[in-house]
Amino acid sequence: MKKVGKYLAKCKRILTRSILKNTFNRDLLMLLIVSIVIGSLVSSTVSYSANAYFSKTLASLVGDYGEYDILIQVREEMKEDSAIQIQKIIDDTFQGARLKEGPTLTGKTNFFIALPDQYKTKQTYENLGKIFGSIPGGAGAGVLTEPRLTIRGVPEGAKNMLMEKITQMEGVRFVFRDGSSVGVIMTSLDKTAAVNAQIKSILNSYQVVEISFPVGAEPTNPIRLGEAIANDMQTQLKAEFAQNVSIDGKNDNMTYMVSTMMELKRFLVAYASQVFISPVAGIKLTKGDTVVFQGSSANMPTVGSSPDRGNVIVAVTGIRSDGVAEGTITQGDAALLSHNQGYKLINNIIGDYVGTATYQNPRQQLGSALTETTKLVGQIPGFAQDSSNMSQIALSALDSYGSNIGTIEKTMQNMQTAGNAIQSATSGLANINTSAIQNQLDSSSRAMGGLINTLQVVRLLSPDVSSSIDNLSSTQRGLDQIKTGLNSLDHVAADARQAKSTIDQVVANGSSTLASLREFDIAGAKSNLLTANEHLAQLKQLDVPLITTQLTYMAAAAPNLKDEEISRSVAVLDQFIDGQAIPGQRIQILTTSAISTDAIAPIVHNQIGHDNVSLYSSALGVIEPNTRSEVYQLLNEVKAVLAAMAAIIVTVLFLVLDHTAVMTVIRRKRLVNKTKVRGWRGMAVRVAITFTAPERQYGMMVGAVMLTAIFVISGGGIPYLPWFGVPLIGAVLGLLVANYAEKISPISSEEVMAGESLGMSFDEIMREIVVPSGRPGLLQKLNSRKVKFR
Amino acid sequence: MLKIDHLTKKFGSLVAVDDFNLQVGRGETVVLMGPSGCGKSTTIRTINRLVEPDCGSIHFAGIDITKLSEDELMATRKKIGFVFQHFNLIHRLSALDNVMLGLVMAGTPPEIARYKATEALTKVGLENHLTHKPDQMSGGQQQRVGIARALAFEPELMLWDEPTASLDPILVREVLVVMEELAKYRSSTMLVVTHELSFALHVADRIVLMNKGKVVEEGIPSQVFVDPQSSIGQQYKELIEYQMNTSALTLAGKRIA
Repeated sequence: MKKVGKYLAKCKRILTRSILKNTFNRDLLMLLIVSIVIGSLVSSTVSYSANAYFSKTLASLVGDYGEYDILIQVREEMKEDSAIQIQKIIDDTFQGARLKEGPTLTGKTNFFIALPDQYKTKQTYENLGKIFGSIPGGAGAGVLTEPRLTIRGVPEGAKNMLMEKITQMEGVRFVFRDGSSVGVIMTSLDKTAAVNAQIKSILNSYQVVEISFPVGAEPTNPIRLGEAIANDMQTQLKAEFAQNVSIDGKNDNMTYMVSTMMELKRFLVAYASQVFISPVAGIKLTKGDTVVFQGSSANMPTVGSSPDRGNVIVAVTGIRSDGVAEGTITQGDAALLSHNQGYKLINNIIGDYVGTATYQNPRQQLGSALTETTKLVGQIPGFAQDSSNMSQIALSALDSYGSNIGTIEKTMQNMQTAGNAIQSATSGLANINTSAIQNQLDSSSRAMGGLINTLQVVRLLSPDVSSSIDNLSSTQRGLDQIKTGLNSLDHVAADARQAKSTIDQVVANGSSTLASLREFDIAGAKSNLLTANEHLAQLKQLDVPLITTQLTYMAAAAPNLKDEEISRSVAVLDQFIDGQAIPGQRIQILTTSAISTDAIAPIVHNQIGHDNVSLYSSALGVIEPNTRSEVYQLLNEVKAVLAAMAAIIVTVLFLVLDHTAVMTVIRRKRLVNKTKVRGWRGMAVRVAITFTAPERQYGMMVGAVMLTAIFVISGGGIPYLPWFGVPLIGAVLGLLVANYAEKISPISSEEVMAGESLGMSFDEIMREIVVPSGRPGLLQKLNSRKVKFR
Repeated sequence: MLKIDHLTKKFGSLVAVDDFNLQVGRGETVVLMGPSGCGKSTTIRTINRLVEPDCGSIHFAGIDITKLSEDELMATRKKIGFVFQHFNLIHRLSALDNVMLGLVMAGTPPEIARYKATEALTKVGLENHLTHKPDQMSGGQQQRVGIARALAFEPELMLWDEPTASLDPILVREVLVVMEELAKYRSSTMLVVTHELSFALHVADRIVLMNKGKVVEEGIPSQVFVDPQSSIGQQYKELIEYQMNTSALTLAGKRIA
């Protein structure tokens, strides 16, 4: 706090001593103020004079702001006749309008027309060309009415929408089509800013997405494609707004006419016959070649002669990879290609044989297809009835399907039970060792046979054993039977196992089949059949005779054109389409600015079938600067630059004439006690002193203050120079002048020293010695009031 | 009257005045001599701070000049007359205005200043050249205007910085006459830097010889020039002898070979 107080006290002392007292510093301050005032006056005078001159010149060229409404330019040599005609038009159409002949520039004479208020209408301004069309001399009419805004770059298709929106704005009198731009006339000048802002807001809320196609990849019908893309944008991107605005034509009717023609061309080309020429060995056809066939001519084409009207002529449109040339018929018809040997036509002279031709005639194919279809249609009622019957049967089958499955399932269960029973029954058999028993039985039988043999020997001896032999024989047979029975038993067990296995397999397969059968959607099948029945019922209701009649008619009406006619029609359509201003290489879609081109790209690629296109986004339009405002703006800039130049010159003059003496004195004081420093330090000191020497600081400060003040007061300005550049330039000027101060205003150090030796103060030395001896200038003038020794 | 102690002045690495000490009494005429560049002019200019000393003290009439503020210095300078080698007149002003300038700036009423200036110019024999501007006068006359300008303040101390160095020999005399009169008949206190041996011999109360910024010998003229103690003094002695011999021979009608 104490420090601040001290600092303020010091500032007060300096201020009191330097400014308030009658000191030379106050003289300098006065000089600075007077310099700024005079400099500003000079700069302002120069700039205002120039501005006034140019403004007056401009006003004489185009009238004052809003004075005139229409500008008509005519050729200079026709101006008298034109003036008469313009006056006549005015008298007839715009009673009360005022005509003034303006200056003639570059061979064009300008006429200005001030319209009565009731004629300042959209209709008038959009029909200026018609209204003044009768003026001789190649007149051109333009609108001058103010206040006016012009919007350029608006796609033709978006103009109506934009004009409607602008018309609804407050302060807008009317909107009109001004050539390729949109003109907006406002009710008053003070509404301009608000309307301008609103229009900018609209322009910013929309964007025009331009889809550019490379040469050779143009869409067949850009109008149709644009509409399709716009529709997709609305459906797929949920775009609030998307409209094809790529129509550059004067009106929509013509545009759609061209669109129709494009479709017609596409239709015709689709039905033109395609000829395929297989070249003979050694012959190579290229695109653009022409090949002649005999056609309806009596003779084969003769090499070296010209083709006649009966010949069929084919233009090669492309070559396939296998060498076969594709072409279209430009003379004759495909039906005449019965003699298919072709000869190359060069400069309307028949050349060598090149190959044989085949063809596809889409018209013929269409006729055939229609005929066949007619036949097919005749079969529809019977087919419908048969199908209906079959459908009923199928429904019945589906109804019994469920119960059948149940039966099968039951059967499977029974079989499973049977199998189990068989397994149970044969399981005991499985435990009997029939082989061992059989072996034992066999052994016993053999032993018994031996015994029998023995007994038969014994019977020879003792016939009493005969009964025993019989018993034994009977037993042996019994054993053999048992053995045989055991064999059978063995087979039964095997058969039982086999049966069980078979049953198991059947049951397993049956279960699997049942599972599959159960998956079958009986209800769905029934529903489908019922639906089919309904359709069949509808089919039965068809008016088959009518369809047949129509198909017969269509077959008869299928393009009954010759290929030659198609080719010539396509050529005529091309001529017409090419003459229209429908851009084939770009499509413009107007949409909201919220949608990015990245989002639109897939839709475009999908529509055109490839991605060989470029997408750009641009504003809906640009508010064009008002020419008059621009000129006045330019004049203001010129005025500011002139003021700036004058300010710079005046500053330099004042610095040179008035301040160099001061700078020299300051420099002298600095050098009196200058201490020389050598080496790199000396160099650093010298560099530093370039900016920090007191006389240079003084020069920079005075230059900066003076130039800035004059700039501000006189309205000076330099394009692209920021505000801080002005004091910077002033400081640089001051520095430069200070650098040469001693050469510009050399002062006598001896005189100054004499003054010092006499005890004179700095102020006295400046006033009595330095300034009176210095260069004549403002300082000297001001000092003359103070100097005592003149 | 004037007491200089340990006065030093450097210009970068060059020591112009090196620990200089001197006392000048009231009414005394002290001549400062030495080879060119030995620091005589710097010394005399530091006395009224036309050149700021680096260190040391300069007491004049009891006050240390080196300690004075700007305003005090200006007041003190009015008590010290200074005569420059190159006259340092204001070229746009007449002789009278040149003399009046300091007086008027010091607050003397113009009429009185005019009177004093006229008187001062009359003293130096320029009463008929009052309205002449410097470029209308000879060098001697210009220097006399310079002397009048210094005298007009009736200074307590006169400092002379080689007042005749820029004059041709004939004009030198008229200046020396004025200086002699001031010294001998008005008893002014004077510190004179000069190469004029005759003036030093005839007028100086004391001679101070300097070399390389230092006092090398000091004394009355007869002592310094007859029995010098320094090489500089010896050189001056030889010069005096040479001049005397030359003058005698010339007067005898002989020429030096």
